[in-house]
Amino acid sequence: MALLGTISVEPRGADLVAACFTAMASSCELLVRASQLKVARELGECVAEEAWRIEQKFSRYRSDSVTAWIHAHRGAPIELDEETSSLMNFAERCYTISEGMFDVTSGILRRAWTFDGSDRLPQSAAIEALLPFVGFDKVTWRSPCLELPLGMELDFGGIGKEYAVDRAYDLLAKNSAGPFLVNFGGDLRASGPPPRGRWQVGIEKPDQEGDAKMILELERGALATSGDSRRFLFRDGVRYGHILDPKTGWPVIHAPRSVTVAASSCTEAGLLSTLAMLQGPRARQFLNEQGVKYWVLE
Amino acid sequence: MQLKKIQRRGAAQVRRQLMAASCALLGAGAHSQEPSGTQKDDSLLDRLLEGVSFDSALAYYREDGRIQAIEPVVNVSKTFADGEVATLNVTFDSLSGASPNGALPGNVPQTFASPSGKSLTTGRHLYTIAPGQLPADPNYQDDRIAVSGNWDLPLSRLTRLSLGSKISGEDDFVSVSVNASIAQDFNDKNTTLALGLNNEFDSLRPIGGAPVPDSDYAAFDKNGNKTKDGVGVLLSLTQVMTRRWLTEFSLSWDRFHGYLNDPYKITSVLDSAGNTTGYVYESRPDERTRKSAYFENRVAFGQMSAGLSLRYMEDDWQIHSDTAQAHLHWSFANRERYLEPTVRWYRQTAAAFYTPWITTEERSSIGNQASDSRLGAFHAFTYGVKYAHKLSDAAGLAGSEFSVRLEYYQQIQDHRLAAPEPLQGLDLYPGLKAILVQFGWRF
Repeated sequence: MALLGTISVEPRGADLVAACFTAMASSCELLVRASQLKVARELGECVAEEAWRIEQKFSRYRSDSVTAWIHAHRGAPIELDEETSSLMNFAERCYTISEGMFDVTSGILRRAWTFDGSDRLPQSAAIEALLPFVGFDKVTWRSPCLELPLGMELDFGGIGKEYAVDRAYDLLAKNSAGPFLVNFGGDLRASGPPPRGRWQVGIEKPDQEGDAKMILELERGALATSGDSRRFLFRDGVRYGHILDPKTGWPVIHAPRSVTVAASSCTEAGLLSTLAMLQGPRARQFLNEQGVKYWVLE
Repeated sequence: MQLKKIQRRGAAQVRRQLMAASCALLGAGAHSQEPSGTQKDDSLLDRLLEGVSFDSALAYYREDGRIQAIEPVVNVSKTFADGEVATLNVTFDSLSGASPNGALPGNVPQTFASPSGKSLTTGRHLYTIAPGQLPADPNYQDDRIAVSGNWDLPLSRLTRLSLGSKISGEDDFVSVSVNASIAQDFNDKNTTLALGLNNEFDSLRPIGGAPVPDSDYAAFDKNGNKTKDGVGVLLSLTQVMTRRWLTEFSLSWDRFHGYLNDPYKITSVLDSAGNTTGYVYESRPDERTRKSAYFENRVAFGQMSAGLSLRYMEDDWQIHSDTAQAHLHWSFANRERYLEPTVRWYRQTAAAFYTPWITTEERSSIGNQASDSRLGAFHAFTYGVKYAHKLSDAAGLAGSEFSVRLEYYQQIQDHRLAAPEPLQGLDLYPGLKAILVQFGWRF
């Protein structure tokens, strides 16, 4: 595979070494023991190539992605490859489990919304006009055959990063001995505790750039965060975060600023944090009912 | 809002469904954890039939142009009327010769100091290695004595407990270990399940002090004594398959922690042109976890029996090893003599930090390194044969057995790096050839 970016390897304290790269518009890193310095780059390449592969395949910004290919064949039945089919099956399950709140067809609503921190809310009519093109139930999906109606869009962005973390994790779990941590922009998964203590993970606090971070500790498992840190609108005392209710086309209001959830896989953690955000003011209650470990910033 | 429905539907159902959906997406491997697994317990002594049994051996081992060793072993075992067995084993080792220090051969003479030395320019502890020769301390000498005791007692008709301890001492090393195992028979004693635990405490007192890992060889940066300790678990299943076929499967796991370096091993530092500019002490991680799986089958037919064993080991230094061993046991002359040829094949991958040399640029970066060929990738063959002769009553030594064993071992280094220009033509990966001769006497 052609090299899609660069990887830098740098020590992290005395015990660890990090392979860093950029993918999916996020800072990504792989942390391994310092004793694996000589293979850190090799392992980092393995992780980065997987991240870049998934980004390239499912990006909605690239004309050579599967997503673009699906959009180019709207209105006609097409057959998806195995991986895309798995993601579609997963998206369908999530749609059912969340009773329509998690919807991979809702991305089109972003045409009406620009979350630039201003007070410019869209016209209701603009949102109303898009709603007929939102709803997984309007899609004909019988794995591996898909028929996406004209005017509709698919967007795997809501699960892509977490899925990439898990895929990279699985690759490494097969190829590497010793503990490691895969972190794609705060969505992460660790195979076991580092040489000393626990993994220290900084989760960005909303509204605060750079160094203001909430430090979490974990030994193994996954963490994923949903939040509206810098993507919101503010009008008449109400903050409109970027998480949209696919049924109304409007942002979920009174949602926490950020929700971080721990689970065994990053995909599962990501969905739980997204669903919690979609609960708005009832996010904590929802998380308590799920019995998961979580961190909420209001 | 619609989500109230989700809440009413309740509790952790959403999470369970998401977990199932994630598993389906990511495949079965997504939620798996590492299996545990390691080392075959070699300390299990011959089960003796009755009364006191005396087993002794004298072995001579010689590596081609390097170390030689003489090793007498005495093993005394007593079986009591209630089925308890007490065993005492005493082993003495005397090693001498030239021990490779880990540095590369050079195209110019290289001067080193024996471990007790404090300078590379003066003193009587220096030794100089001629160009092209493998650097080795010519005055290596070490004596070791090891004493182990084991007490094996039946707890019930089907359950046995075994408790043991071992103390081993050298000039520069003391090791104490304790072990316990419990074995349970099932299925008319056709199946045995055993669980063993082992705990080891080692004290290293290297001559001249323990070098600081990664420190400059010429700086003699050494400080005192070090320790390491280990813990291990063994789980084994032995099954009598048929009257003529016995199979055993075991998993083991062990972890060592502490100063795991060989205090006498160094690594050559080469500049960009490939010239040796100095040496550093090796620096291994301070922890090592090994897992292994072992599978053995023995079959008997007439005067012959045969065994085949396979072993897989991996550790978190990224060493993976495979061992396959086959032996044949052939009795003849009214079962008074037997011949036992053995062949063994072994292969291992290199530790993640193994390197034949480091460069001056690498010298400034952190990390572990060691040039010890035992941590490199290699494969090895062992060919052996044992001949035993049971002495007749006429000699007045009923039931005694005299044996002689010969073994030849050859180790070949794999994955060789291309030699830098100044070192081309030198044998940087000499491998190892060794012979072993052992005389045994049991009565």
